[in-house]
Amino acid sequence: MFFLYELERVISLHPSFFGPRVKEYLTNRLLEDVEGTCTGQYYIICVMDAYDISEGRVIPGSAVAEYTVHYRAVVWRPFKGETVDAIVSSVNRMGVFADVGPLPVFVSYHLIPSDIKWDPNATPPQYTDNGDQVIEKGTHLRIKLMGTRSDVGNMFAIGSIKEDFLGTL
Amino acid sequence: MTSAALLDQDFGSESEDDNFNPAPADDSDNDAAGESDNEVTERPRTNGSEQTRRSTRDEGRNEDDQGDTSARPKEQHSNGRSGGIGGAAEDDDAVGEDDDDIKANGAGEDDEDDEEDEEDEDDEDEEVSGRPRKRARRDPRNQFLDVEAEVDEEDEGDEEDDEGQADPFIADTHPDDLADLPVGAETDDRRHRELDRQRELDQQLDAEKQAQRLKERYGRSRTTATDAVVVPKRLLLPSVEDPSIWGVRCKPGKEREVVFAIMKRVEERVMTRNPLPIISAFERGGTMMGYVYVEARKQADIFTALDGLSNVYPRTKIVLVAIKEMPDLLRVTKSQQLQPGGYVRLKRGKYAGDLAQIDDVETNGLEASLRIVPRLDYGLNEDTNAPMIDNGVKGDAQKRKRQGGLGLVNPAARPPQRLFSDVEAKKKHSKYLQAMSTFDKKHWTYLGETYINGFLIKDFKFQYLITENVNPTLEEVTKFTAGAEDGTENLDLTALAASLKNSTASDSYLPGDMVEVYEGEQQGVCGKAVSVRGDIVTVSVTDGELRGQSIEVPVKGLRKRFSEGDHVKVIGGSRFRDEVGMVVRIKDDRVTILSDLSMQEITVFSKDLREASDSGVAGGLGLYDIHDLVQLDPATVGCVTKVDRESLRVLDQNGSIRSVIPSQISNKIERRRHAVATDRNGSEIRYDDTVREVGGEQKQGVIIHIYRSFLFLHNREQTENSGIFVVRATNVATVAAKGGRVTQGGSNGPDLTKMNPAMQRNGGANGNSAMPPPKSFGRDRAVGQTVTIRRGPYKGLLGIVKDTTDSEARVELHTKGRTITVAKDTLGFKDPLTGQSIDYQRFAGGRGRGGGGRGGFGGATPSRVPEWSGGRTPTAAAAGGRTPGWGAASRTPAWSGGAQSGRTPTWKQDTMSGGRTPAYGADGGRTVNPYADGNRTAYGGAGGRTPAWDPGARTSYGNPSSDAFSAGSKTPYGDFGGSKTPAYNSDTTFGGSRTPAYTSSYNDSWASNNRPYDAPTPGKDLNTAPTPSNGYTAATPAGAAPTPKFSGYGADAPTPGGAPTPYSGQPETPAWGGDDGPRYEDGTPSP
Repeated sequence: MFFLYELERVISLHPSFFGPRVKEYLTNRLLEDVEGTCTGQYYIICVMDAYDISEGRVIPGSAVAEYTVHYRAVVWRPFKGETVDAIVSSVNRMGVFADVGPLPVFVSYHLIPSDIKWDPNATPPQYTDNGDQVIEKGTHLRIKLMGTRSDVGNMFAIGSIKEDFLGTL
Repeated sequence: MTSAALLDQDFGSESEDDNFNPAPADDSDNDAAGESDNEVTERPRTNGSEQTRRSTRDEGRNEDDQGDTSARPKEQHSNGRSGGIGGAAEDDDAVGEDDDDIKANGAGEDDEDDEEDEEDEDDEDEEVSGRPRKRARRDPRNQFLDVEAEVDEEDEGDEEDDEGQADPFIADTHPDDLADLPVGAETDDRRHRELDRQRELDQQLDAEKQAQRLKERYGRSRTTATDAVVVPKRLLLPSVEDPSIWGVRCKPGKEREVVFAIMKRVEERVMTRNPLPIISAFERGGTMMGYVYVEARKQADIFTALDGLSNVYPRTKIVLVAIKEMPDLLRVTKSQQLQPGGYVRLKRGKYAGDLAQIDDVETNGLEASLRIVPRLDYGLNEDTNAPMIDNGVKGDAQKRKRQGGLGLVNPAARPPQRLFSDVEAKKKHSKYLQAMSTFDKKHWTYLGETYINGFLIKDFKFQYLITENVNPTLEEVTKFTAGAEDGTENLDLTALAASLKNSTASDSYLPGDMVEVYEGEQQGVCGKAVSVRGDIVTVSVTDGELRGQSIEVPVKGLRKRFSEGDHVKVIGGSRFRDEVGMVVRIKDDRVTILSDLSMQEITVFSKDLREASDSGVAGGLGLYDIHDLVQLDPATVGCVTKVDRESLRVLDQNGSIRSVIPSQISNKIERRRHAVATDRNGSEIRYDDTVREVGGEQKQGVIIHIYRSFLFLHNREQTENSGIFVVRATNVATVAAKGGRVTQGGSNGPDLTKMNPAMQRNGGANGNSAMPPPKSFGRDRAVGQTVTIRRGPYKGLLGIVKDTTDSEARVELHTKGRTITVAKDTLGFKDPLTGQSIDYQRFAGGRGRGGGGRGGFGGATPSRVPEWSGGRTPTAAAAGGRTPGWGAASRTPAWSGGAQSGRTPTWKQDTMSGGRTPAYGADGGRTVNPYADGNRTAYGGAGGRTPAWDPGARTSYGNPSSDAFSAGSKTPYGDFGGSKTPAYNSDTTFGGSRTPAYTSSYNDSWASNNRPYDAPTPGKDLNTAPTPSNGYTAATPAGAAPTPKFSGYGADAPTPGGAPTPYSGQPETPAWGGDDGPRYEDGTPSP
C-alpha cells in the first residue's frame, strides 16, 4: 500500500559544500540517498519535498557538518494479505518468482491452484492448466501476499494465487 | 424307453413354458419352506442366482439329451406333469388366483415395454410354431407340478438371452408364488424394482461412501459400548465376604505359563465331579516377577489346584493379599498400544538401539513382528564370527546367546545398517540363502531369518522393545521408506508423528506459542500458551466462546498453530534444525516451509517449529555466518553458503563446494568496505553493486565480497549454494552500481574532487594539473656522495651512491659490501656546509639557493601562507587557477612581441575579472611593459626551459618540504607571475654564484624593478582590497619597514628603497628577491 510518509534523515556534508547552494546540495543528496531504497519495512518510492532542513552542526573532530532533513516521501509497504499485481521473473519446479515493483515474491506450487501444473517440457518451462492460463516468465499475475520477510536492506514475500480472482491477468 | 422318447417329444412341445419363467424350479423348495411375503421381496435375487445356476445345469443336461434320454428321469417325470397340467391350465381359466396371475403379468408388461416386446416376439414364435399361447392362462394349480423341468435345446438359448438382457423375468411372479401369497398381498413387482434401484444406487456410490454409510448404520461406537453399566466403584471393592487372594511363588518369567496351565486344568475339570475350587488366577507380569495370584475361598483349594503343576511352588511360602491391596493388584497399567507402522527401538542384541518399524502385532499381545534394517556382514568376518553362523553346534549357539544376552555388542564387529542384498549373500553364503517365493524376488530366507524387500522381519517380545520416547529421527526413519519406484520417498509421516507423540517433549512448547487443541473436549480451541508445567500447558484462549479464559491442556492434545506466510524457525530434532523460512502449506500437523536460505521447501512437524521474527536471516549461531568470507588456506578463500549445526558449506574462489568444519577455517575475512575492483569495462565496482557475467550463463548478482580478482555474487533466484556464485572481476559488467555511481559520471551532483580546492590540490598530485617533479639535469649530484640510509631494513647504514634514477639510488654499503637499491627519499646526505644530514630534496635543490637561507624563509612563510592562498584564490577562480600565471609568463613574450600596446587594453578589460590584472591596468602600459619585458627577458636569458622550471621548482617545494615553503614559493608566483621562475633557474644553473649577481645587478634592478612590481600591488589595492593587502602582509615579514614604504609607495617609487631593505634584512629574502628579481630585473632594464 502506498503512503505519504514523513521521514527524516541526517546528512553530513563536506565543508566544500558550505555555501549559498547548500540547501540544493542537501536536497540532491537526499534524493540520491533515499529514493528507491528499502528500509526493510517499506520502499521509499519518491521524495515529495524536504520541508525542513535543520541548521548544520559541525561535528567536532571533523569538518563535516550534519544536517537533519525532514522530508515527505511516497513509500510503499507490502502487507500480508494485500493483493498485488506482479510480473513473473522466473519459474521453476518449486514455484514462481514474481516481482511486484521492487519486491520479489515467491508463489509456491502449493499455493498455485492444483489444476495449474508444472510443465518442464515446455519452452520456456511454465505452469499451465492446458487452457488459457499459462504462467511463464513475463506473465502478469495477480497475487495475494501471504507473508513478508524483511532483511536489512530488502524485503521478500511469498504469495498465493490459490484463490478466486487471483492468477494470470 | 419309448415312453421316455414320447415324453421327450412332449417335453419339446412344452418347452416354451420355461421361457415364461425359469424360476419355478426353486418354487417347490420355497414352498416347502413356507413362502412368505418377505421371501417374495427377496425373490429377484434368488431367482437371478438360481437362473444362472440352472441354466448351466441345463446346458450340461442337454448335451446328454442328444443321445441318452434315460439319463434324465426327473425331466421325464416333470414333463409328464407339466404336460398334463398344461392342458388343465388352459381349461381352467376362471380360478380366482388366475386373475392375480394375469394381473401380475399385465403389470409386468406395462412396466417393462422392452420385455413385453420380447415376450411378444416369443409369443409370435410360439404361434408360428402352432402352439397355443399358454402363459397367461396358466392354471394356478400347477403349483404342485414341477414345470421347471420343461427344458429343451431351444430354451437354453432363450434363457441365456434373457439372462443377458436385464432379467425380464425377475419381476414376474410365478403363479406358484402367487399361490403362496396370503390373500390381498402385494403381488406386483414394485418392491422388487425398488430394491433393484436401491442396489443400483448402491453400486453407484463409491465404495468409500458405502463403507461410511454402513459404518454409520451398523458401526458400534466404542464409547457407548464401554460404560454401558455404571456401578459405583466403591461397591465393587472387595470385602471380607469375598474370596481371598494368595500370591504363590513360581519360577520367574513363567508366570503366564503357569496361569495358562491353571486355566487348562480348570477347563479340564470344569464339568467333572471335582472341579477346581479356585475362582481366578492371574499374574502381574513385570511388576511382580515370580508370583502368580490365585483367588480362592480357602488356602487348601490352592494346593489342590496347583498341585502337580510345573514351575509353581505352592508348598513354599504363600502370601495372603490384604483386602486393601486387592484393588491394586488389579489395577491396569495401560499397556502401550502398538500400531503397525509405528516405531520402536530394540533393547538388546545385535540391533540394540536400532529403530524398528512394527510390521505386525501378534494377537496374543506378547510379540510384535518388526521390520529392521539388517546389520549383516554376509560372512565376510567369517572367522571371528564363525560360531554365530554355525547353528549346528550347540555350544556355539549358547555362546552366541550369552553374547547377545549380555548386550555386549562390539561396535567394531557390528556391521553397519544396510538393506539386505541377496547378491552379497550369495557371494559366500549362498548355501544359507533361500528365495522364498519365485514371484517376488525380494523375499528371502537367509540364515534362518526372513528378509522382505531388504528388511529383516523378525518377531520380538514386547519386553525387548522400547516403546516410549522412541524419538525416531528423520534419518533413521528414511531408511524405512524404501524409495518408491520413481525415486520418491513415501514417508508415512502419520506413523512417525504417532511415535513422536509418545515422547513427551515438554520443552517444545514455550509461553507465547500459538497453540491449538486438537484432541479432547476442548478440541478446536486456539490460544496462546501462557505457561508450561511438565506436560500441562496453560493456554489463554484467544478466540471462540472461551475467549479470555485460561485452560489447562495436556501437551498430548496440543499442536502449534501457524498460518501460511508465517516466518518460522525449525527448532526440533529434525535435520532441518535451525532453518528459517516461511510457511507455505499446512496439512494437519505437517508444515511445509520455504527456507530463506536455500529457497527450498521442507516439511516438518508443527511441533518442531517456532515463530521467528519477521526479519533477519538467522543463520548459524556459531562463529561463522552465512555469506561470510572465510580463509580456508593461504591460497583459498570461500564464501559460506550454508551453516549446519556442525559443518559449513563453503563455495571457494574456484567455484567448488566444500564442506568444512569450523576448525578447518583459519579465519574470517572481514569485509573491507572500501574494496574496489574494476569490471571488464574498467568501471569501478564495489560491494552491493549489481553485475552481470559477460560470458557463460550471464548470471547476474549483487557483489557480496571482493577478494583480489574474484567476486562473490549473490543472486536470490538461484537455488544452489543459496544463491552464491563466484566470478572473476574481469568477467563481469556493471549493471547497476549502488548510489548510481556509474551513471553519475559527470552530470548531476557535485563532484567533490572538482569543487574542493583542498582536494584539488591534493588530487592534483596525480591529476593532469599536477606539476612534474623537479628534475635535475645533468649529472645527479647525489652520485658519489656518502649517504646514510634513513629508513627501511637498511636503516642506519652508511654507503656511497653509485648510481641513481629519478627516484632510486643504488648505494654501495660500507658494511656489507654490496650494493642495494633504495629510494632516494630515504637517503640522508651530508650537507657539505653544515655537516648536517639532509634529505635528497634539500641536497639536490636547496644547495644552490643557499641552505642557510631557508631557515629564514621558513620563518617568513607561515605568516604568508594564509594570505597567499587567499590572495591567489581570486585569480584562480577568475582566470583559472595558477595557469594564467603560467600563461602570462609563457604568453607574455608573444604578447609583448606581438602587440604590446594592443594587449594592454585587453588586460585592462580583464582587470574587471582578475584580481591581479587590474594592477597591471592601473599601472598602465609601463607596468605591463616592464613586466612583459621582464618576462621575456627572463625567457630570453634562461631559454625556453624556464617556464617549465618555474612550476617545477615550486611544486617540489610545496610538496616535500613544508606548507610554508610551498606557500612561500607560490607567493612570488602569484604575485609576480613568472617572475620567480628565472630566479630558480638561475639558482640551479648558477649555483651559489648568483648572490653577487643579486647584489650587483639586481639591487639596481630591484630599485626599478620592484617598484613596478610593488606598483601593481597598490593598483590592486585600489581595485580590490584583499589582494594587495594580502600581498602586503605577505611582504610584511620581510620587515615592518616595507609596509610604510608601501603606503608611500602607492604614489611613487621610493618603495624600491624599502624593498631592498627587507631583502637585505633577511638572508632568505634576498634569495627571493634574487629569484624573482633577476628576471624582472633582467626584464626591467631591457625595456
